[in-house]
Amino acid sequence: MDIAVVVKLVPDLVEELAIDESGAALDTSYLRLIVNELDNHAVEQAILLKESAGGQVTVIAPDLEGVDDILFTAAAKGADRLIKLTGAMSGVNNYALSNSLAAIIREIKPHLVLTGVQANNDLDGSVGPRLAALLGMAYVGYVSGVTPANDSVKVRKEYSGGLVAQVAVRLPAVLGIQAAGKPPRYVPISKIRQMSKTARIKDQPAGDLDAGNGAAVKHMFKPEMGTHATMIEGEADEVADRLIAIFKEQDIL
Amino acid sequence: MVPHRPDFWGIPAEWNPTLWVYSIMFLAVFVLVFRFFQQARLWWKVGRPEVRWDHPGKRLGLVFKYWIAQLRVLGQRYPGIMHVAIAWAFFVFFIGTTLAAIDGHLFQLFQLLGNQNAITDPEAFKFLKGGVYLVFKLVLDLFTVAFLVGAGMAVYRRFVRRPSRLTLDSRFAFSLVLVIVVVIGGLVTESLRLAVVRNDASLAVGWWAPAGFLLAQLWIATGASPEALTNWHMVIWFIHLGSVVLMLVTLPAGTLIHILTSAFNTFFAKLDRPAGKLAPLAQNKDGQSIFVSALRDMTWKQLLDGDACTECGRCQDVCPAHAAGTPLSPKQLILSMRDTFHENAPLLAQSANGGNGKLVGEAITGDMLWSCTTCGACVRECPVLIEHVDMIVDMRRHLVNEGQMGGMLQEALAKLGRYGNSFGQSERARAKWAQPASLKIKDARKEPVEYLWFVGDYASYSAGLVDITRKTAEVFQRGGLDFGILYETERNAGNDVRRVGEEGLFEALVEKNVEAFAKSRFKTIVTTDPHSYNTLKHEYPSTDASRGRYPILHYAELLDQLIAEGKLKFNRQLGYKVTYHDPCYLGRYNGVYDAPRRVIQATGCELVEMPRHGDRSFCCGAGGGRIWMEEDLVKERPSESRIREAVALDGVTAFVVACPKDMTLYRDAVKTTGYENRLVVKDLVELVHEAM
Repeated sequence: MDIAVVVKLVPDLVEELAIDESGAALDTSYLRLIVNELDNHAVEQAILLKESAGGQVTVIAPDLEGVDDILFTAAAKGADRLIKLTGAMSGVNNYALSNSLAAIIREIKPHLVLTGVQANNDLDGSVGPRLAALLGMAYVGYVSGVTPANDSVKVRKEYSGGLVAQVAVRLPAVLGIQAAGKPPRYVPISKIRQMSKTARIKDQPAGDLDAGNGAAVKHMFKPEMGTHATMIEGEADEVADRLIAIFKEQDIL
Repeated sequence: MVPHRPDFWGIPAEWNPTLWVYSIMFLAVFVLVFRFFQQARLWWKVGRPEVRWDHPGKRLGLVFKYWIAQLRVLGQRYPGIMHVAIAWAFFVFFIGTTLAAIDGHLFQLFQLLGNQNAITDPEAFKFLKGGVYLVFKLVLDLFTVAFLVGAGMAVYRRFVRRPSRLTLDSRFAFSLVLVIVVVIGGLVTESLRLAVVRNDASLAVGWWAPAGFLLAQLWIATGASPEALTNWHMVIWFIHLGSVVLMLVTLPAGTLIHILTSAFNTFFAKLDRPAGKLAPLAQNKDGQSIFVSALRDMTWKQLLDGDACTECGRCQDVCPAHAAGTPLSPKQLILSMRDTFHENAPLLAQSANGGNGKLVGEAITGDMLWSCTTCGACVRECPVLIEHVDMIVDMRRHLVNEGQMGGMLQEALAKLGRYGNSFGQSERARAKWAQPASLKIKDARKEPVEYLWFVGDYASYSAGLVDITRKTAEVFQRGGLDFGILYETERNAGNDVRRVGEEGLFEALVEKNVEAFAKSRFKTIVTTDPHSYNTLKHEYPSTDASRGRYPILHYAELLDQLIAEGKLKFNRQLGYKVTYHDPCYLGRYNGVYDAPRRVIQATGCELVEMPRHGDRSFCCGAGGGRIWMEEDLVKERPSESRIREAVALDGVTAFVVACPKDMTLYRDAVKTTGYENRLVVKDLVELVHEAM
């Protein structure tokens, strides 16, 4: 089963986030990018499928700072092909990204396309569905575990209230991954370093990055701090007296 | 007439005992050597090569110290005296028997060499006669008594007290009974002869053979005739001979093999590096790394470790992981390896693909390996110098390479890889503690300093330790120290990353730190953390081309120096009664015991030692990366056991530590054990700060 995995880079929340002068985007001067956690699960799921059913795994990621490391890590886990989407990838929206990705994926002709169901920098989860639409494939999102069958896969979905569903999906298909069947594995640094010497990353121009009708952020800001609660301490009588006083002040009583 | 040593007294000469006894003994020794060689060749056949032949003089010194003098064995009183009494008695018996054989046959050697005198007067070549013979008898007899005392202690220990660390099975009982039969057989033989020859001036030795003489009185008291006693003598003599033969031929297959293997193991002990330095990953002929998971991946010396194990259980007794109830016992670990080796080695030795020698995941589980704190107590205690920790780290490297580890550790390693610290915080937050403008801490990257302070992860990032880190800075400043830090460029030093088995990450961290050192100007490094101290001292590149080797100090050593030089002055004497916990990587691994104690004394505190202190200090449980791992297999935390040990000391109110991880763990342990009102955990530097 050949699988293409789409990986995005998102701001690392370990660093403090600042908003730039425009007031509509993050200040990139201190920004550090990290692999989107759910995309990391998508990579893991792809490797798990490769281990159980064979096939080739291709990992595609936009050319942003740190992308090589992410791709080599995927190779160390077992990915076969690494593709870097080159172009003005900083701040590209999901609409444009999906268009570029669809063109590449059409050439790869995978049985399955995996991507994280959403990313922390957009929270709209649109890459998967849009890819499915462009490629004419089925889409299932919020998947937490995939098992291969003949020309289909069985995916696991966890619903609220502790219900679990198994969905059979005919291939080819796009899956939005929420969690891999197993937590992403650790790859020792030596293997990643080895890959950085032996594995090859293919540069693929993203082509025309048309933002289309995708949503645009107008205003970005940090939530205003609400007023803190006041704890009233003391004996029950004192607390009651104090409460009555407060209620009176507030005209509640 | 002076007494002399008789040859085969009481054995009819026409039976030709000389020929028979020597033939049997040579055969027995041949069987012993052959069987031992069969076992020993498997170490080299199955194990990887490793050079352990260098410095033969030093190695013989080790053999003398640990095999003959048995200093490690003597480290514990009861088992020490017990074992040494038995072992030295056998050394003496061996020498005595050899001397007797030479005494009896020296003239024949001269005969062979064509010396005519040897034929006319064989007696002239004997030396065990007169005074020499009496002393010879006395020494042998006294050691017989010593043996009986030691054997009695062993019987009492093995069959009555039955401590849990011992392997209580029949193999050991057999060996113990056999050596007792051998020695008592010899004693009874001697005493029966002495009873018969008591009036023969040429053979009687009286009190010069005290044990034999006393026992002889018993036989005399029975009123048996000399003929009857002589017959009994012959029977016992045969039993004695038979038991010695049995001992020799079974030795290589039984527990007594340790007599030989421990000699080899002490001879081939690790000499090439200090305890605090791990060997890098070994590589095969093709330059590929060897990850140890099976017998074939082990070095021959590691396989020898298994056969050298005496199963004494001292390692298990001192192991914090074992005390905590985890699946690890260093003794069982070594024995699991040995048993797998015994089962599979013959097949493995036959062909390249024959036999199964898998260790990790079979006899040795990941849970066992991950339980180790690498505190080194087992290695310190082992009487035959087995190297447990090196083997555990070797196998952990395999687990890491396969990605087999718990979630917490995986997360910690990922954070260390990405941010250079286990807290998963930005490197820009590393020197947040130094933000108060009043501190004014120099940036060693920007201006030259005398001391580069390597702060370490815990002292830098842990919110609960910021106060102590600031106090350390203040103490340094008050001592007039010219120091600086690396701010966000410092990375975790990698000591525990390496001990977890993530060698590649360790190398990456070393590269980053070494690069930062190269860009800074300083003369000496001082560390807060004993773990950083250990790896910086022993495992970082030993020479820096531009300025040579810089000294590495732990702050306990630096404080001690500042006090000695009069640079740190105290205004008050604290007067607390305190105890001090030796961190494994400062004490056992690096021998820094006195400096922190002198600092404690200088602050006017009274130091009361815990029973486990100095090189026998008990690990807090955090080392070797354990601080990043799940505790689900831990039943009683080592840190809690340690706090209970401290609380039992009369009047001690403070528990002094010299390691940021200790601070974290023991603060918790004081709370969880409910001793918050009895004991307060204090960093060494807090005492200094308070006394200034």
